[in-house]
Amino acid sequence: MDLQKKADHLLWLCTVALAAWAVPGAGHFLILERKRAVVIFLTITLTFAAGLWVGSIGVIDSVSGWAWYLAQMMASPAVGILAHITQSQKFISLGRPADIGQIYTSVAGLMNLLCIINAVYLAYTGRGEQIGQENA
Amino acid sequence: MPDAIAILASFTQPLEIGTNPASTLWMFPLLASIAVIYKATKLRAMLWKIFIRESILLFAVLSGFMILAAVVLNLLVWMITS
Repeated sequence: MDLQKKADHLLWLCTVALAAWAVPGAGHFLILERKRAVVIFLTITLTFAAGLWVGSIGVIDSVSGWAWYLAQMMASPAVGILAHITQSQKFISLGRPADIGQIYTSVAGLMNLLCIINAVYLAYTGRGEQIGQENA
Repeated sequence: MPDAIAILASFTQPLEIGTNPASTLWMFPLLASIAVIYKATKLRAMLWKIFIRESILLFAVLSGFMILAAVVLNLLVWMITS
């Protein structure tokens, strides 16, 4: 019985982590932290979009900029689709716009990693649901 | 529909940003994002008033530190090169 409970809890934590990775803020949404979820979603999405707007989608380069790409991938698995599009080398980004775009998109990814860890921690301790109910 | 295509097209060409001191102003929106996300994960209770106040305070501290670092580094370069 205990093993079953532990397995269910682990599955729940994995669900929260995957949801938080797939859509920024979705992990917090699942644990009833709705306000946090909205703030996280808007901030990370806008930061990532701003990076793409400044540097174009050419800043997502899984070959020559693989280290940046690892950080960018933390924002959402959808970044993989963009990386597939930019592999054609049709979208080239160079100079200062590329720097700013890479920094914005990578920082957005790393911030989402922080949010994933936070959502899993709140789900693990059960604190998220309590606070979510307090704030509702 | 043409508007949507124009918006999407704007993501395929980089903006024109020169290598000048003004380009460092791009750090401020990023600092604001970092402050908001940090406070969104750290505050125990998510009350709007407290959250906004804390985020603005952290943004001001981060911005102040970055400006101070820029001033100190510029002074250092000026002292070395003069």
